[in-house]
Amino acid sequence: MARRLVWLMASAMALGTTAQAAVPPGEYLVGFITDSTGPLAAAGVSYTRGAELAAAEVTASNAIATGAKLSLEIKEAGGDAARSIQNMNQFIANRRILATTCCILSGIVNSLKPVVAGKIPLVVYGATAPGLPAPPWVYSVTALPGPSDTATAALVANAMKPKTVAYFVSADNDAFKARMAAAEKAVTETGAKTVATISVLGTDTDFTAPATQAMGANPDAIMIYTTQTPCAGIIAALRARGYKGMIVGNDVLAPAAIWKKIGAPLVGVPFPLSFSPEVNQTAEATAFSAAYEKAYGGPPDLYSAQGYAAIWLIAQAMHGMDGTPTREGLAEALSKQTAVTHNVYGGQAITGGQAAATGLTVVNWTAEGKLVKWSPPK
Amino acid sequence: MQLLLEQVVNGCAIGSLYGLFAIGFGLVFATLGILNAAHGTYASFAAIAGYYAATSAGLPFIASTSVGVAAGAALAVMVDQVAFQPLRHRKAGMIGALITSIAFWMILDRLAGLATGEQSLSFPAGTYPGGTWMVGSLPLPQMQVVAIVSLIVVAAGVHWLIAHSRLGAAMRAVGWNEAAAQIAGVNPRLVILATAALAGATSALAGVLAGISTNNVSASLGEGMLLKGFAAVVVGGYEDVRGAAIAGLGLGIAEVLSAQYISTSMRDAITYALLLGFLVLRPRGLFGRVSFVRA
Amino acid sequence: MLWLSDWWAAYQSTLAFSMVNAFFALSSYAVMATGILSFATVAFAAAGGFLGVQLLAVFGVPVWLALPAAALAGCVASVAVSLIFLRLESHWLALASLALILITRILVLNSPALTGGVNGLSVPVEAPLWLLALLLAGTALVFWRLSSSWYGIAACAVREDPAVASSLGIAPKRVQLVAFAISGGVGGLGGVLLAMVLQFISPETYYINIAFTMIAAVVLGGSYHWAGAIVGALVFTALPVLMQALVPAVQDVANGLALLVIMIVLPRGLVDPRAWRARQAAK
Repeated sequence: MARRLVWLMASAMALGTTAQAAVPPGEYLVGFITDSTGPLAAAGVSYTRGAELAAAEVTASNAIATGAKLSLEIKEAGGDAARSIQNMNQFIANRRILATTCCILSGIVNSLKPVVAGKIPLVVYGATAPGLPAPPWVYSVTALPGPSDTATAALVANAMKPKTVAYFVSADNDAFKARMAAAEKAVTETGAKTVATISVLGTDTDFTAPATQAMGANPDAIMIYTTQTPCAGIIAALRARGYKGMIVGNDVLAPAAIWKKIGAPLVGVPFPLSFSPEVNQTAEATAFSAAYEKAYGGPPDLYSAQGYAAIWLIAQAMHGMDGTPTREGLAEALSKQTAVTHNVYGGQAITGGQAAATGLTVVNWTAEGKLVKWSPPK
Repeated sequence: MQLLLEQVVNGCAIGSLYGLFAIGFGLVFATLGILNAAHGTYASFAAIAGYYAATSAGLPFIASTSVGVAAGAALAVMVDQVAFQPLRHRKAGMIGALITSIAFWMILDRLAGLATGEQSLSFPAGTYPGGTWMVGSLPLPQMQVVAIVSLIVVAAGVHWLIAHSRLGAAMRAVGWNEAAAQIAGVNPRLVILATAALAGATSALAGVLAGISTNNVSASLGEGMLLKGFAAVVVGGYEDVRGAAIAGLGLGIAEVLSAQYISTSMRDAITYALLLGFLVLRPRGLFGRVSFVRA
Repeated sequence: MLWLSDWWAAYQSTLAFSMVNAFFALSSYAVMATGILSFATVAFAAAGGFLGVQLLAVFGVPVWLALPAAALAGCVASVAVSLIFLRLESHWLALASLALILITRILVLNSPALTGGVNGLSVPVEAPLWLLALLLAGTALVFWRLSSSWYGIAACAVREDPAVASSLGIAPKRVQLVAFAISGGVGGLGGVLLAMVLQFISPETYYINIAFTMIAAVVLGGSYHWAGAIVGALVFTALPVLMQALVPAVQDVANGLALLVIMIVLPRGLVDPRAWRARQAAK
């Protein structure tokens, strides 16, 4: 706790020194479209908690300006495009709301882009399709997972030299289809042959048959580019049927809840990591993890870190403004940000409105349920 | 050959769950004349109840499954009495009940989300038979065997109940014509309650077993079962539980084999197109009889 | 007057979605008026939506041409589908139409050249509210005229009792085929209008949720009068917004409860011609 206080004061001071004429004291609202119900609820809850925590910290540390309070106006959309658009229009009509954040699904961001353009800044916290940002109005704080996936696949392929590889892909998810295609290309370049590509759907739940099918192709390695429930289910099914080869996962395996759910079959499966309280140990990261644990009684995950970043980016842009902030002014201020300065990743640059990850961390779960840096098994 | 055998077993196991669910779904459709959109949530809640019975109360497999089944039956009776009973006297027909069932679907789906903390949970290892038997070189996961045996036992039991017991005769009578049944001395209220409970329990069993074997205890469990169970009822016909059971099995096998040998991305399109084709050739299902027009 | 313009800005998209849903509800009302419960409108909407968007985005066709083309696409799809579906009995038809939605989604996912596949399509043209209102008024006019035409009376007879209808010289299947054609046309038009309101469509756009929304809208509004579909769509779209404002924590549960209560109190829906007649007779 003491550590957190010291850090809060330090960050407040660091921010304070650069301010000249700050925004006046008062309450500032950010419209937050959440998907805390429906098929995306598990991640949706995490994003929202991360954002709530960030808003509380921004207020407590006077990060925008002394006496400037940042509050969230949260509206539920349940992962539905029509509801998201209606929520966004209500935010736009509410003159007290300065900026908005939203969206786990790329399709919904695409629907909202024409709605917000010229009207209100939007910071995307979850969707990962390339090309979503459109400064000065639309930004994304979620690093594109594609490059890390590709790098992980190449790293594993170079280390383990599989001759044959099978892939699983979420056929109804644009981002994962692109991620798989890029990873497959990199793996093929190492000389490995694709022996099977198995499509699954987001609503599928039984993976015994797809696992049998993949094993029937007898691959040295299996790489999985699917959403969370299928990814976990596929790995459980593969190990239950006795698959002994290499499995490569993706960042959906990082939350502690997945370890709790699947357990042992995950051991030794490498995947790229953007954030985990165990691996990210910068001062900001440990403070975030401790505060999150205290507020919600459980560890944060990569999704809560993204929600957290979205709010900090807005606060950071507001901090640089003077006078009563307007939406246009905030949009302009956002377009000048070159990094999310307060972040849990140890660095998070922004180019063209899109945040990027620093470096590559490939991890795996150990038998004790800890995340450690992956190294090729001997 | 080995692969084909393994996949047929997998198909039978998934198909057994579809079939089990379809038996319950079809019973409600045949006896009560209701297309029940909330039926999937019975499966979700049964799995959730079973999960908490296994984890919080530490009950063994049979007991936790029974808790889930009982929960499903109780929920089915509750929904029937709240959502469907008030409409029965007002002749709102199938469509009115469809809408109240959609209303319950919305409510229960949300409550299931709250009950699982919006997570997809899974039964911890050791709370169910998770091992694999080897028959020669053919792996036979115990849960798959449980699913297939359950389908056979339940289908045979329910079929006997409907075809040969007094309750079954009363159910058929109510399904055919409630007023006529009442004149003949059947208490329709009691029959309706019994049917709802039986249907809820059957689909609940499918829900618990699916929750265990797919590592997915969540609100989304029931929705998946609803669509597939629905399809099984279409092919099997709702007038005969054997039809739903066989159609469920067939659907599972068709799904797995079309993914294995034709295309994983076209899997659902192939299975549902087969289903439509089947409907056109045999519009009243596997065991369907020539119909009598009901006004 | 500032609050009025703010209020308008906040809820104009709710109005837009209500009107789009009214097209879907009218589409399913068209077949329900002949005694058929069908969810196939979703497939007709997908046909109209994807064709319309391709015309608008790729071929640069003007809106006034793309809209009738979308309606026509829905119409052609519906006639093709009805040739199969009308061989089925009522309950089976309902089940088969749900299967059709699932097939449609997979086909949309797997034909990226036509539909954009999983990546979806951006829609370059926005549907202004006046256009939606105008088209809805026009469609309502058609339904109004139809309801008192020979076709409307025949449809009513087929719904009440097909056997009696045939003895009166009405061919039930032919009436239902016409109903499907109307349903397809209105559904296809609704499909492209939905695309123009969302400004982005993907395989998720035309899926099960629309099916249940429209059926619930029709029955909620009253399935015995065309106006019921429009009223139902408005109420069913506005209800979640209202519940979000009133009880944000339990909005979905509240939605379901509201729907449940309305249906139990008014099982024939909000717009019920029989209740009007009863009231007139009582006077």
